[in-house]
Amino acid sequence: MTDRQDDQALADAAIDVSRDSPLNGAGVAPDPAWFEQSVVEEPFSRHVLTTPLHLDVAAESRTNRWVDWSGYTVADVYTSVDQEYDALRTRAALSDISPLIKYRVSGREAVPFLNRLLTRSVETLNIDRAARAILCAGDGNIITQGMLFRLAEEEFRLVVRSSHLDWLEQSAIGFDVRVEDVSGTIAGLSLAGPAAAKVLAAAGMEKPEALSKGEARWEQLGGMPTYVSRTGMMGGTEYELWTDPSDASVLWRRLLDAGRTQGIRPVGAAARDVARLENGVALEGVDYQSALTAFDSADTRTPYDLSLGGLVDLERTVFNGQKSLSRVADRGSASVLVGLELALAEGAPIGPVCMEESRVGQVKSHAWSPSLQCVVALAVIEASALGASDGFTVETAGSSRQPVKLAKRPFLRFS
Amino acid sequence: MSEDALQYDAIVIGAGHNGLVSAGYLAKAGKTVVVLDAAEFVGGAARTAEISPDYQVSTAAHLVSSFPRRVEKDLKLSKHGLSWATKDMATVALDRDGKHITLSSGGKNDLMKIAAHAARDGDAWKQFDARMRKYVKLLAPLLEGPMPQTGKDAPSRLATMMALRLEKLGPKDLRAFMQLMPSSVAALLDRNFEGDLIKGALSLDATLGNHAGPHTPGTGFSLVYKRALEAMGQGVGYPVGGTGALTEALATSAEAAGVRIRLESPVNQIIIEDGRTKGVRLEDGTVFEAPLVMSSADPKTTCLDLVGARHFEAPVATHLSRIRMEGATAKVNLALEGLPTFKNFTDKEYGGRLLIAPDMGTVERSFTAAKRGELTLEPVMELVIPSYHDPRLAPMGHHVMSIVLPNMPYEINGGWEAQRDMLMKRVIDTVREYAPDISHKIIAGELLTPPELEESFGMSGAHWHQGNMSFDQLLAFRPAPGMANYGGAVDGLYLCGAGSHPGGGLSGLPGKFAAETALAREKSK
Repeated sequence: MTDRQDDQALADAAIDVSRDSPLNGAGVAPDPAWFEQSVVEEPFSRHVLTTPLHLDVAAESRTNRWVDWSGYTVADVYTSVDQEYDALRTRAALSDISPLIKYRVSGREAVPFLNRLLTRSVETLNIDRAARAILCAGDGNIITQGMLFRLAEEEFRLVVRSSHLDWLEQSAIGFDVRVEDVSGTIAGLSLAGPAAAKVLAAAGMEKPEALSKGEARWEQLGGMPTYVSRTGMMGGTEYELWTDPSDASVLWRRLLDAGRTQGIRPVGAAARDVARLENGVALEGVDYQSALTAFDSADTRTPYDLSLGGLVDLERTVFNGQKSLSRVADRGSASVLVGLELALAEGAPIGPVCMEESRVGQVKSHAWSPSLQCVVALAVIEASALGASDGFTVETAGSSRQPVKLAKRPFLRFS
Repeated sequence: MSEDALQYDAIVIGAGHNGLVSAGYLAKAGKTVVVLDAAEFVGGAARTAEISPDYQVSTAAHLVSSFPRRVEKDLKLSKHGLSWATKDMATVALDRDGKHITLSSGGKNDLMKIAAHAARDGDAWKQFDARMRKYVKLLAPLLEGPMPQTGKDAPSRLATMMALRLEKLGPKDLRAFMQLMPSSVAALLDRNFEGDLIKGALSLDATLGNHAGPHTPGTGFSLVYKRALEAMGQGVGYPVGGTGALTEALATSAEAAGVRIRLESPVNQIIIEDGRTKGVRLEDGTVFEAPLVMSSADPKTTCLDLVGARHFEAPVATHLSRIRMEGATAKVNLALEGLPTFKNFTDKEYGGRLLIAPDMGTVERSFTAAKRGELTLEPVMELVIPSYHDPRLAPMGHHVMSIVLPNMPYEINGGWEAQRDMLMKRVIDTVREYAPDISHKIIAGELLTPPELEESFGMSGAHWHQGNMSFDQLLAFRPAPGMANYGGAVDGLYLCGAGSHPGGGLSGLPGKFAAETALAREKSK
């Protein structure tokens, strides 16, 4: 081929590119800058930690949509949020909850230590029982929340959303107690939905329905020692299974196999979050910020602000935050978290909460509830505005105001 | 009140000077008070005992520099046996060549002696001393009472008060004060003086009793604070019969007011019920009940050991556990057959507070050695010959010498048992450089290592001030942030020892202020 022919061929090719390519280059060679990664990676945005179930989860993922949870990569959506939500509320849903932070608290003075650490006394907590636990800072604001399991007379497991070993160790000064972060040694699976008990029975657990709310017991599932608890934050029938990381993968597959006839599905974080919202539970890092890590102290909340006053027992020996909380209890909260129901279309953006002309609050999280056929939201509202029970509006796109009504939490109730 | 009563209005833990002052003021206000102490004697660290028969010395604390006239009058101490052998001991920096200097406020003779080391320093000292007096005036109102704590506007009230006084200083002194605040005393002295001796002596003064060297940041302020505290008192003095006579008088005065002092009664626990103090339990199990418990033990021991960390919210307990109190001190007491001969000494100088700190490097090296758990080669020291003022401390013509050795390691490499003879030798060798005949005069001597001081006087970590007296642990931060009101965390419990505002130094002020705070709070209820 001559040089001239060569040039001609190249010119033709260029025209071809211009004709077929969406890059409407009109014969101009594509600018390499177009293909350069333009998104600058945010600090700490790369999460390399994987849970013991990662390979199993990845095998089930059809969307490759992942989300960060305490530095761990977990599935956000496996197939579609609707399908997963449907499984969660009508059949059975299996999820990986291994990124939860687990602390083992043991020793002669574990009870007095926890009594001072938490807003409620743990003396009455029986072995193999779980109770909601709130940790408050000295100013009464919540550091983190979770569940406290009593494994033995002097051994507890505290399962919380975020890592605060430093705070626990500071609180342990002067107590004969041992506090260990055992997060890496325990894998967690959540099994939820009306058919959850049947799935567990099929997987080898005897009478799972006999387990009452907040109760837990050791089970051998296919020879794997598993601590099964009737706990969770999505409402409805929920079990959580705690096991050795090396058994987790086998247990995951065993539960999926056992639930096949019940229509079990692996369910990702997105659908779980909708269910969590329907249950009216405020989430750390979303609806409020931890007292120890908040950038703005205005984002922190006391238990009273979240209507969790029932979990605070002021009339007992010293506990962290007692002085501040008794002041809040006397004076009342400045702003409180409330539930809102909005007759809006799915996915509409929502602005601040207003009362007449003035803004009185802010929507913290909201989602379309397929069960309730409306948008449910958690909003922080100035306590002074709460005298009225209606008349609230939210600003929506196009600056139109939509009326909203205060709703009791949980939004979705189960018989 | 009968001898074996177990119920009182107030219990005071520790029969040291602060505990006794507290007890005295409470009794004056009509309270029934019991003072409990683990030792066999009253006095705490202010106690006079024998080195060997007929030679008496203030075993631990050996000077009274900040004891206010007010307290003496309030508690009628002179009526109860307190008299002063001297009240104006001069501070003398010893020089190996006999060119000693006296750090007085401006005698012409003294200035000339300072100028003999460096020509400019005479004038410099005059100016430095004048400026220090201004700073002392600035701080004085902060030491005259408890830190303003009550009410939301307390911090701003305090700030306003300080701002007004700072303004009064004038721009030049204000600038110097601002520069001084974070400075090390070494930087401060280098800015003002040339002579090694004056810098050595002042840097020792600034760090005495603390875990710090001349180059430690903030020690410049420590020097001002020490002088401010001394200004509360009546001059550097020595009571007839030693520091023990002061606490004896306090004890007699307290007992006359109806206070019961129970010795050999080590407190094991402060009993807390429903967030309030209920009383104390002794090691033998005896329980004393009182709604008010004043503890002159250090804040860490009181709150974390006697009360227990669990009775405080975690942030408070954390603050308490972080109080820095690593500065350990040792003590040497000598019985002497006659006055040792210091080169070129005048009468006044023999009766002075003698500092051996030839330059800042030596002081710094003693701190460095302490950090490393080693024995310094050249110990720095504060030395007095109390029998010079109070001849009854020793047989006719004989004397006692009392030496404070700051910046000693609490834990020493090789253990104190192995090192104590070496320390004694180094101390005597150092003193011999100034008083060559000292070794011939020694009849008997005792060395109290930091662990021994801790053991015999109940001083945790052998720290003389119950916590470093540096800016971050003084004023509103003493003993810990948010606790400068002598109690706070537990109802009915008050900290009345040197660990509380205004700090250590035989002033009795923490004891007085704590008692006043407790009484005022009770009244306001």
